[in-house]
Amino acid sequence: MSAVAAKPQAGGAMNPGAMAVGIILLIIMLGICYMVSPGIGLVALIGVIIGGVLIGFGVHFVPVGGAPAAMGQAPGIATGVAMLAAGAGLAGLFGGAWAAEQGFVIAIVTGAVGGGMMMAITCMMVNFVYVFGMGIPAASGKVAKDPITGDTQAEYKSQGTEGHGLPFVSFVGGVIGGILGGAGGTLIYLELLDLYKATLPGIMSVTAAQVMPIAVSVAGIFAVALFLVNAVLTAYNITGTIEGPHDPKFKRWPRAIVASAVASALCGLVAVLIVAF
Amino acid sequence: MSVKVEVIEGGVPHNKIMIAGFIGTIVCLYLTYLNVLTNTGLFAFFGGLAAVFALIWGSHTIKVLCSYGIGTGVPSAGMIAFGSGTIAMLFATKFGVYAPIVAFVLAAIIGFILGYVSNNILNMRIPAMVQALTEMAVVGALTLMGFAALISGGFSFAGLTTGTITTLGMALSTHQISFLGGCLIAVAFLLGAIAIQHPFNACLGPGWKQDRMLMLTAECGFLSMIVAAIMSYALIDHISATISLIVALIGWIYTYKQYLVLSKRDAAAWLDSKPIPDVEGH
Repeated sequence: MSAVAAKPQAGGAMNPGAMAVGIILLIIMLGICYMVSPGIGLVALIGVIIGGVLIGFGVHFVPVGGAPAAMGQAPGIATGVAMLAAGAGLAGLFGGAWAAEQGFVIAIVTGAVGGGMMMAITCMMVNFVYVFGMGIPAASGKVAKDPITGDTQAEYKSQGTEGHGLPFVSFVGGVIGGILGGAGGTLIYLELLDLYKATLPGIMSVTAAQVMPIAVSVAGIFAVALFLVNAVLTAYNITGTIEGPHDPKFKRWPRAIVASAVASALCGLVAVLIVAF
Repeated sequence: MSVKVEVIEGGVPHNKIMIAGFIGTIVCLYLTYLNVLTNTGLFAFFGGLAAVFALIWGSHTIKVLCSYGIGTGVPSAGMIAFGSGTIAMLFATKFGVYAPIVAFVLAAIIGFILGYVSNNILNMRIPAMVQALTEMAVVGALTLMGFAALISGGFSFAGLTTGTITTLGMALSTHQISFLGGCLIAVAFLLGAIAIQHPFNACLGPGWKQDRMLMLTAECGFLSMIVAAIMSYALIDHISATISLIVALIGWIYTYKQYLVLSKRDAAAWLDSKPIPDVEGH
């Protein structure tokens, strides 16, 4: 079988055995973290896992169209998951990081609003371009009626396409995805920032004020890295494109929850180990 | 010239590129350690060469993975490579002289588990997935370590977090002016991520040729190295930074010219159209 001929066999099916292995891996990593850093490290790791799961779940809501959407042959925003999730999530992360001084809840909410705003603006401008630039109406190919507005879709769908434009439900899905992703990214950043602010001064034998740039920078780059890992794993789960929460592919989210939890626990554990050794 | 479809299968085998890339990267990374032994910054440019070696290896890994049509676009592969690589690289810097080896081992473990997660839990079922994600995490970690050595002159945690600032003739130690404190790692992250995903994204298709893609990778790597060398003026002495910049410029100009030659070779028909002449009398 040549590399070109082989296509991915990914389907909607769950793999219970592998999921069990994943959950065992998750417990092992939490156990290792409890051994090396039972207090602040374990709290940070749990925060990182929750943040990673929020990102993984949130990406399922975002209407990712990919190349077909750019040609007006499929609904969604015309780019890949990695770019879209990174755009929305990092916008939220930067917003949340900016508000980190204001307290935990305000920072998370700011991050969520930042991510949601970014997606709302993106979805709106995408529809502007679709409707006024390309001259195509918004129509979903996956459902007969928009689940929120109840508008019928089939009349507006061109033959030979899977729909086009950005229906209302996709718009709402994009904003929800941005909110979840922004909140998740901010949560990862805040947890790691607290951990590094508390432990780095002792390790490097400097004052808390001197260590701030390093704590902010390392927590920030870890949050970005974890965000991208979770976003790409979710992209693998939905094999590239999804219309939003009404898409049948959305039902695959339990797999992504386990995958994101394992990946976040793995990366978060290494992030904790940096200051635990 | 006829286009052969089976050319996709041809070229140097992937394992050979992987071994050559790995050895080249590790050797170049350790050559930057001469900085510590001789107490200068003159050997920082080897970090950039290590990054170029790793990128060449990584772009071919992306070719192996993305030939299966994973449906998420080629850039996502570059993003997960550096996302997982950053984490391994930062942890490895704690181990001083053993940092490249620790980065390799830890990145391989992280990449292997991520490969297992995507192949089994997410049900991707792609034969090359586990090995490709393992290699890519290693490439991400070693590329970042190369850029770190290029920009700051070393790859130890202390070196990456401490810099000096000269005020009124006095050299003061500071954490703000450093590879991590100034968050130059974020720039290095994207310089590498773009350089690793662009070549296959640009060259894929029925006319794909291995040597052309790898030459483009080297070109992108040296282009990133130019930017990193300019950033290194902030952290290492000007002579060393200038050496890095000159090496990067020479490498970039050479690979760019070679890439143009290879592109013209593979083009179906190439015509050197002159600028439109001014026609008089209109």
